[in-house]
Amino acid sequence: MALSVLTLRTRRDRRSASGVRQSFRQAHVTKRLAIGLSTLSLLVLAIGLLALALGPVEIPISRVFWIAVSAVGIETSGIVRTEQLVIDQIRLPRIIVAGLVGMALGLAGATMQALFRNPMADPGIIGVSAGGALGAVIAIATGAAALFSLSLPVFAFVGALAAAFLVYGVAVYGGHFSMATLLLAGVAISALLSAIVSAIIIIVPGSEALRGILFWLAGGFDGRSWEHVRIAAPLIGVSAAVLLLLTRDLNLLMLGDDEARSMGVSVGASRVLLLAAASLATGAAVAVSGTIAFVGLVTPHILRLLLGPDNRVLLPMSALGGAAFVLLADTAARTVIEPAEFRVGILTALVGAPFFIVLLIRNKRQVHSL
Amino acid sequence: MLSIRLSYWLALAVLVVGWFAASCSDNAPREAQPQQADQPQQADQPQQADQQEQTVDAVERSLAGVRGIVDPEQRGWPREVEGLNGVVSIPAKPMRIITASVGHDEVTLALVPGDRLVAVGAVSKDATYSNAAHLLQDHAEISRDPEVIIAAAPDVVVTSPWFPIEVVDALTRVGIPVVQTELAQGPAGRINSILLLGYIYGEEERAFAFADEVRARYDALIAVTHAQGSNPTVLALTQYSDTLWVAGADSTEGGVIVAAGGVNAAAEAGITGNQTISLESVIAMAPQIIIIPQPIAFGAEEFRQSLLDHEALLEVPAVASSAIFLVESKHFTTLSHWNILGAEALARMLWPDDVFEPPTDHFSLPE
Repeated sequence: MALSVLTLRTRRDRRSASGVRQSFRQAHVTKRLAIGLSTLSLLVLAIGLLALALGPVEIPISRVFWIAVSAVGIETSGIVRTEQLVIDQIRLPRIIVAGLVGMALGLAGATMQALFRNPMADPGIIGVSAGGALGAVIAIATGAAALFSLSLPVFAFVGALAAAFLVYGVAVYGGHFSMATLLLAGVAISALLSAIVSAIIIIVPGSEALRGILFWLAGGFDGRSWEHVRIAAPLIGVSAAVLLLLTRDLNLLMLGDDEARSMGVSVGASRVLLLAAASLATGAAVAVSGTIAFVGLVTPHILRLLLGPDNRVLLPMSALGGAAFVLLADTAARTVIEPAEFRVGILTALVGAPFFIVLLIRNKRQVHSL
Repeated sequence: MLSIRLSYWLALAVLVVGWFAASCSDNAPREAQPQQADQPQQADQPQQADQQEQTVDAVERSLAGVRGIVDPEQRGWPREVEGLNGVVSIPAKPMRIITASVGHDEVTLALVPGDRLVAVGAVSKDATYSNAAHLLQDHAEISRDPEVIIAAAPDVVVTSPWFPIEVVDALTRVGIPVVQTELAQGPAGRINSILLLGYIYGEEERAFAFADEVRARYDALIAVTHAQGSNPTVLALTQYSDTLWVAGADSTEGGVIVAAGGVNAAAEAGITGNQTISLESVIAMAPQIIIIPQPIAFGAEEFRQSLLDHEALLEVPAVASSAIFLVESKHFTTLSHWNILGAEALARMLWPDDVFEPPTDHFSLPE
């Protein structure tokens, strides 16, 4: 089925190639990018400030403002030390990690959908999420997660990358690489890794480990610190830079390998680089947040409906859109049933899925043409 | 030849008769002992009858209020109990028992000899989670597969509400009585569980004696905690895979905190059951004491140190006074009388200046 979807998409893309080319005109792109970037940047900033102001410790918005001002080196008076620490040490790193994860998932989702020419592709399509989940579950079940504070993200990250290498290894086995094989290998290895995760869940002794596993799998940002920022930021930053630099290549790859090659794209190298960067971003995101489903699938779709398929616009917009979505979900997760917390991964699916369905119904014709 | 055989048989007969006579003479004093003991009893017969009546009355009074017993007057077999899965008839005193939860295993082992518990779950044998693990190492293990349970040929199965209903149905269909009971929180709940399980097993006298023992431990604790002037706020906090958990109202840990005379900070903040929270909520709750009922193997020590080191928590009273304690997780999380040990330990932390030594760190076992 996945193969037939690929084939259909390829034919349709070739038919609409001229239309796509037309929509890629630079001036048009620059204008849309400028409007989109400024709008979504403002949205991310607004949600970030809202997230900074809300929490179990009540801090008046004026003091949040002055604390934020003091954080950039401007001396202010009337700051309560505890409030400053709450913002500096608890809320701010959490907000930044949530933003980074949303950005990574949005970017990786848009990249995978374009690379596979498959609307069902998500950041974890080549087994990265399942590998990350297995790494984390092994760490929790064996007690390795308690060895040092960052052992869990390290295990998850190693698991994510190992899965990506395994899938890629299957796809290139025998010297011939194909995207269809990569996709099917990703599906198969994801299923295999998920089965191992299920087996561990069944045999793990004690409720504590089970609780830890289930909550990690549901995704969340509780307890995220600057150490998590230091893990995620460079990896996601480098991946994002690579992906954003390759948006032109991605556009041309969507037209087909021959067309891309004729336009000077090194098809094999670009594809591997795009896959590697998207996998790295997803692996880093999974490592610091657990599995947060739906963001990487829905955000690029919604933005594609609004802005069109040009990846030069879509990728940066997906990064910001993903960040806004995850930030909003996390703010809701920690405030809706305060002082208790909800899991972000559950909330993104609960809110995202119905919203996405309504959007699909309203835009059936547009979706068909994408 | 015949004479040799005859003499052989005669010698054997003499030996047997001699052994029998010796046996009879050995038994004579043993038989006499009860008679001697009976002498004063016969003299005080009316008093003894009164005592017996009082004991029977007391047992019946206790059983009359026990939730789950259909007819407290019915002391023979079959007898009926009402579990969460409906009224269940137990045809005869069960000699082969399976209880498919740690809390049920712990209570059961306080009521019946260990060999009547024919098989247990793997967790019950794990000392990290089970207070009865040392008694269960040689027991057979069961899973939740009905066939595995049927193979153990139990006379009765007592389970928690979380036991899969389809397994309960399967066992019931093959004629095994299954009673699903909830091990309720708090001292009254514990006593009820002991008396109900004792009734199911046909061990009412032992259940009554053990309920007295448990009640006495609670009473001794309450006598100390009620004498204190103030009640510190206590937060039961754990961390599993980066997620912080607190125990609010209606949680096992919360019940232990209240039994120890503390105020449950999470319950005061409106949390019910076990919930996840952010570190910021710990600051907002401002507990005076933090307890960590988390196994050491799951990073309890590292978690405690991380709380003490966290700059943002420095003004939380428990952190400022370093009143963050690791506690024995299984005493705080099990649904059995072993919670008392947790409550006693917590009471010693709350009022370290008061001399409070529990009578023992264990409970009596049935003969």
